[in-house]
Amino acid sequence: MATNTVSQVVPSPAEDAAALLKAFQGWGTDEQAVIAILARRDATQRKQITLTYEQMYNESLLQRLQSELSGDFERAMCHWILDPDERQAVMANAAMKCIQEEYPVIIEIAGTNSPAELIQVKKAYHVLYKCSLEEDVAACTTGNLRSLLLALVSTYRYDGNDVNMGLAKSEAKIVHEAVRNGTIDHEELIRIVGTRSKAQLKATFSCFKDEHSSSITKALLHATDSTCYLRALRTTVRCIADANKYFAKVLRNATREAGTDEDTLTRVVVMHAEKDMEGISDAFQKRSSVTLEQVIAKETSGDYRSFLMALLGS
Amino acid sequence: MPQQVLAQASSNSSPPASPQPPRPRQQAPRKQERDLQHREAPAPPAMAAADEHQDLTRAFAGMGGLGVDEAALVAALGRWRRQPERRAQFRRGFPGFFSASAGAGIERCEDEYLRHLEDEFARFRDAAVLWALHPWERDARWAHYALHGAAHPRGVLVEVACTRAADDLLGARRAYQALHHRSLEEDVAYQVKDATAGLLVGLVTAYRYEGARVSEELAAEEAKALAAAVKAAPATASAARLVQNEQVVRILATRSKPQLRATFKIYKELHGKPLEEDFAGEPCLQEAVRCLDSPPKYFAEVIGRAFREDADKHAKATLTRAVVSRADADMEEIKDAYAKQHGAKLADAVAKNTNGHYKDALLAMIGK
Repeated sequence: MATNTVSQVVPSPAEDAAALLKAFQGWGTDEQAVIAILARRDATQRKQITLTYEQMYNESLLQRLQSELSGDFERAMCHWILDPDERQAVMANAAMKCIQEEYPVIIEIAGTNSPAELIQVKKAYHVLYKCSLEEDVAACTTGNLRSLLLALVSTYRYDGNDVNMGLAKSEAKIVHEAVRNGTIDHEELIRIVGTRSKAQLKATFSCFKDEHSSSITKALLHATDSTCYLRALRTTVRCIADANKYFAKVLRNATREAGTDEDTLTRVVVMHAEKDMEGISDAFQKRSSVTLEQVIAKETSGDYRSFLMALLGS
Repeated sequence: MPQQVLAQASSNSSPPASPQPPRPRQQAPRKQERDLQHREAPAPPAMAAADEHQDLTRAFAGMGGLGVDEAALVAALGRWRRQPERRAQFRRGFPGFFSASAGAGIERCEDEYLRHLEDEFARFRDAAVLWALHPWERDARWAHYALHGAAHPRGVLVEVACTRAADDLLGARRAYQALHHRSLEEDVAYQVKDATAGLLVGLVTAYRYEGARVSEELAAEEAKALAAAVKAAPATASAARLVQNEQVVRILATRSKPQLRATFKIYKELHGKPLEEDFAGEPCLQEAVRCLDSPPKYFAEVIGRAFREDADKHAKATLTRAVVSRADADMEEIKDAYAKQHGAKLADAVAKNTNGHYKDALLAMIGK
């Protein structure tokens, strides 16, 4: 469920565009006004506002925002203003500049979108960058990490709830064999994780847990070497098995005492605010004793904080 | 005469499958004679028994091309109406296809021959049904068949994956899910257990950029990478094969088609021969390159192979598949490519090598 709330009475795009211009004019920017408008509009409305603003004032809203705002707030707002598909394409493209650290972005995009949504992201990527997401992912990685990430972004998973329990059991066994020896049979793991439907994978994970009384991720933790690929594999499994729990953990890690990771915080909140933030928020609260809003209020400040809070619906 | 024909059939070094239906090219003159007779007289004059036998055999697609000459068959049926003895003579005169069965006291039909007949009679039916299906469902069914039948050439998968436009391949994958409640890539990854699995999954899951933008620099770089892969490929089959080479699979499975064509072009300029030649040891790779580079050329080649004397069941089925799947797409280019490759018009070759309704259907789809 989305957390950002759209205003009850929505002004016309022209009115919103005019209000935004007013917020930009004069000394400094009225950030609160910008937040009050843009954080309370859904994707279609934001698109209308962007188009109308450009028609009325002959400049790109995105560029104006980039010049008026700064810092984490600017980065968050400029991602927020994009179409959800474009936004994910932009984030994926940015992640590839530093794939060894930013691979979770690719995995999240591949793992939390429905197959149809992922196709839309890929189409947006074609338009923006004149090449395919798969090409770029493949070109900036090598070895097993490449095989894994490429499989994740290329697949068009079966979307239904049909599960073959016999297959789930046998593949749980394959995974167990693959992980047990310490030397992991990557091909089979990547095949299973990269092609099976989400329902089938969840069944496989739960068969694994039933048989071996510990989850796959824990089993992978004990593998001998901790390469980027292995970490990516664990991220994949966690993201598919329980997305809300996964993101709650990501947020907890991003908001720890020793410095907040604003980029990650922005990414999760902006990407999920109008999708499934509520579930993530609940999962967050279940694991920590505080709500997500409390943590964000504590760890961030200024307009950035106001914006995040608005997106979270407070 | 039948003995000679059978001897010829058995001498063909064909795949272990079925003994080739005899296709003696020396039948051609007879065909013309017979056609002449048909055209001249509505009720053909009484023929010698041998001629009638050949006639009936020919009509039963015992020899000469793909498909069944339904009109000739009906005429033969009519001619021998209420003459079971003539039919018995015919069966006895053809020991290759009918053998004496001591127990039953009859000349029974060979199972091989029945299967052959089934195939030939089914050709028109298959063509018509395939033509009626949505292209996505058609591709999904072909892919499923290629994966789940015993010993079916996986080339169909490469063909479908590489010659369809990005959205059509995606549509085929969606149709596959609707039909089988699993994704195509799941099944490919699960069923293909040899070295080509990685390449096949990559090709089948591609959603390529379809714009015309090409980077010459990138093409040069990747042509070099391909050349390095070819050079590094070990001569023996024991080590990792060329088809599993990371770079090769990455480039072929992710780059856009215009980009790939630029890469192939540069490769040819640098090395004096086309990439597919250097991939000759790996049929899967070779086929992928051919399909990606120029579908019309590829289809013209496979159609040509269907007409050859030693064409097996799969090569012949390709004719239907190629014509039905490309009739609305690039049939004109295929015709041009065929003329260039074989020095004859495609329509003429089809008319010569096929019979009956099947022939008419193909010609209608190919167009003038």
